[in-house]
Amino acid sequence: MTGRERWSRILPHLVIWPPILVSCAYALVFSAWTIWVSFTRSTLLPDYRWSGFRNYTSMLATRNWQIASTNLLIYGTCFVVLTMVMGLLLAVLIDQCVRAENLFRAVFLYPMAVSFVVTGTVWGWLLNPSIGIQKLVHDLGWAGFRFDWVIDRNKAIYCVVIAGVWQASGFAMALFLAGLRSVEADLLKAAQIDGAGAWRLYRRVVFPSMGPIFIAVMVMLLQFAIKTYDLVVALTGGGPGLATTVPTIVVYDFMFQRGELGRGSAAAVMLLASLAVVLVPYALYRRWRARREAAHA
Amino acid sequence: MPTMPRRAVLAGTAALLAGPRALHAQAIKPKVTVISQWSSGSDGAAITALGKRFESEGGIWEHNPVPGFTTDMMNKLRAQIIAGDPPAASQLKGPEIAVWSKIAPVVDLDPLVQAAGYEAVVPAELVSLSKPYGHWIALPIQAYRINTLFVSRKAADRVGMTKLPATWTEFNAVAEKMKAAGIIPLANGGLKWDDGMKWEIALCGISPDAYRKAIMQLDDAALKGPESLEAFRQLRKFADWSDPGAAGQHYSTFLPRYMKGELGMLLMGGWAQGVFKHAGFQLSDYMVGPAPQDDGKIAFDLNSDEFIFWQKKEKQFQEGQALLAKIVMAKDFGPMYCQITGAIPVRTDTNMADPGFSDGQREAAGAMTEAKASNRIVLSLAHNMAQPNQITAAMLDVLTEYVHNSSTSPEEGQKRLAMAVDNVR
Repeated sequence: MTGRERWSRILPHLVIWPPILVSCAYALVFSAWTIWVSFTRSTLLPDYRWSGFRNYTSMLATRNWQIASTNLLIYGTCFVVLTMVMGLLLAVLIDQCVRAENLFRAVFLYPMAVSFVVTGTVWGWLLNPSIGIQKLVHDLGWAGFRFDWVIDRNKAIYCVVIAGVWQASGFAMALFLAGLRSVEADLLKAAQIDGAGAWRLYRRVVFPSMGPIFIAVMVMLLQFAIKTYDLVVALTGGGPGLATTVPTIVVYDFMFQRGELGRGSAAAVMLLASLAVVLVPYALYRRWRARREAAHA
Repeated sequence: MPTMPRRAVLAGTAALLAGPRALHAQAIKPKVTVISQWSSGSDGAAITALGKRFESEGGIWEHNPVPGFTTDMMNKLRAQIIAGDPPAASQLKGPEIAVWSKIAPVVDLDPLVQAAGYEAVVPAELVSLSKPYGHWIALPIQAYRINTLFVSRKAADRVGMTKLPATWTEFNAVAEKMKAAGIIPLANGGLKWDDGMKWEIALCGISPDAYRKAIMQLDDAALKGPESLEAFRQLRKFADWSDPGAAGQHYSTFLPRYMKGELGMLLMGGWAQGVFKHAGFQLSDYMVGPAPQDDGKIAFDLNSDEFIFWQKKEKQFQEGQALLAKIVMAKDFGPMYCQITGAIPVRTDTNMADPGFSDGQREAAGAMTEAKASNRIVLSLAHNMAQPNQITAAMLDVLTEYVHNSSTSPEEGQKRLAMAVDNVR
């Protein structure tokens, strides 16, 4: 039946193409519009008169953006490194043939299911010196204990790191666990026969063969870090003063709260550029790897 | 199965479809869609009361509050305007009325205002904000005094304070006494607008003229002048006297401790009275009066809310807008609305002796009249009355950073403020 044949050939196209086209339109068209607006004199409403790089220079000159980009560097580095270390540690520990492995995996993965707003709010209460951990320890007897980082403008960003690491470690752990399990058993057996201890085994055999997974996790965590908005707003509201403001907050603040669409768009474009700096090398790395594997095979 | 004659079914459906429209054509009830930021607390209760009043006069009331600060409400308003479906009325205030009236058509309220003889009984500052281009386009609902001092009676008793400090020197002395007695002198929160408000109260208390030049006219010399520097010094004192955990907290989180006497003084606008009342506290729990004024004369830092009416094509909404305007301009609107929120009625001919008003409100209304006579009414910075959003936000950024960074000197803070204003001028 040619009718049905034709239909079964058209159906996959009908199902796949509209969503792809809509998603591409959504991503590309709106990004292009934002980039266009960032070069115009828009304030409360879009105003398509050209203004050159004025928005970019004025955003770079504001303390908001300077503090935000420094915070992004600190938060990004600490968050990625600590989450990967914690995730790897948890994965290695769970991999030791523990009895209730499923239970532990679920427990550690659970924070990922909590929304960033809830994480931020609860950690905000825990870290507040008058009602949280500091007060608890004071009540237990250690009157000299201090843990008031969240109100210290130099240390508040590390509180955001703590909350972020707590949330994302489980995710890193799940991926690393899969990676650990995917190491070839023959390789492990051969190394054990040769007399390698556990630490040597991990360092020389397991981790190198997990290399691509490390890179994948690092890229995913980096883009989590760059996108952070609700965690910071819920935890510190931008911090004592402006101390924990991040680029996403600056974009939202300028675009929607201050009616400065042009400058907010410029900040958004700079944020997109920072994301591209992360993702483009990763894409190139993957192409290089694919080419290398094709050459080897 | 008995079949209904087809003609009967067709006739019945047609009647069903035509019915509602026929009823609709007969009774156009005035309808109004309103958006504001007042979703809860005393403000929410007040606008609900306004809604009930509107409905009792035969209208349909639809209020969609946007919880949060004013900018969240303005976002929603802008989205609706861009979508081509603005609400019939929305809350708006200060210079934003002039700015926003340019982006979408607004209703010219001149005929309604003239019919009610409203202009004569409204203070001049509010008139000029509501008539930015010569025509009435917004109606003020309520006014607040920002530079108000609330003192917890329990804390006052502990340090032997019987009357409010009249100058900043007296205020500082009382604060030191409180600190020595183990009371945290200042109960303000640590949000951006709170930090900005403390600075403007300090400046208004030091010199309303310097305030007018620096904040309302953005005069560079005034921003870099001695009064501004003195205000920064006073702001540093406020920062040191606040609860260390105040950063990022709204002042209402400290209310229970404030009333118990663990915190002493609160520099807040008059709406705090409504908040206290709503939280169940009595007038006997606190003392209220004007914030310290160094030269001893009354000055009034004004904050007010207004309704702006957006042009709608449907007759329903036009009638609704006329009805809402009539209610808001009426003499009994002030008592009804302001007794719930703790605000001052806009009409200067309101009878403040009405028992529903508190002494604090009467005192504030008297202060507004007196300040109007001596031309010492200034517009609030932190509450978006003096400058449009861009400039206000840039200045608040500097002030909030200064409050939470004790290593910034007052001179440095003043320099940064002047620079920030230059950047956005």
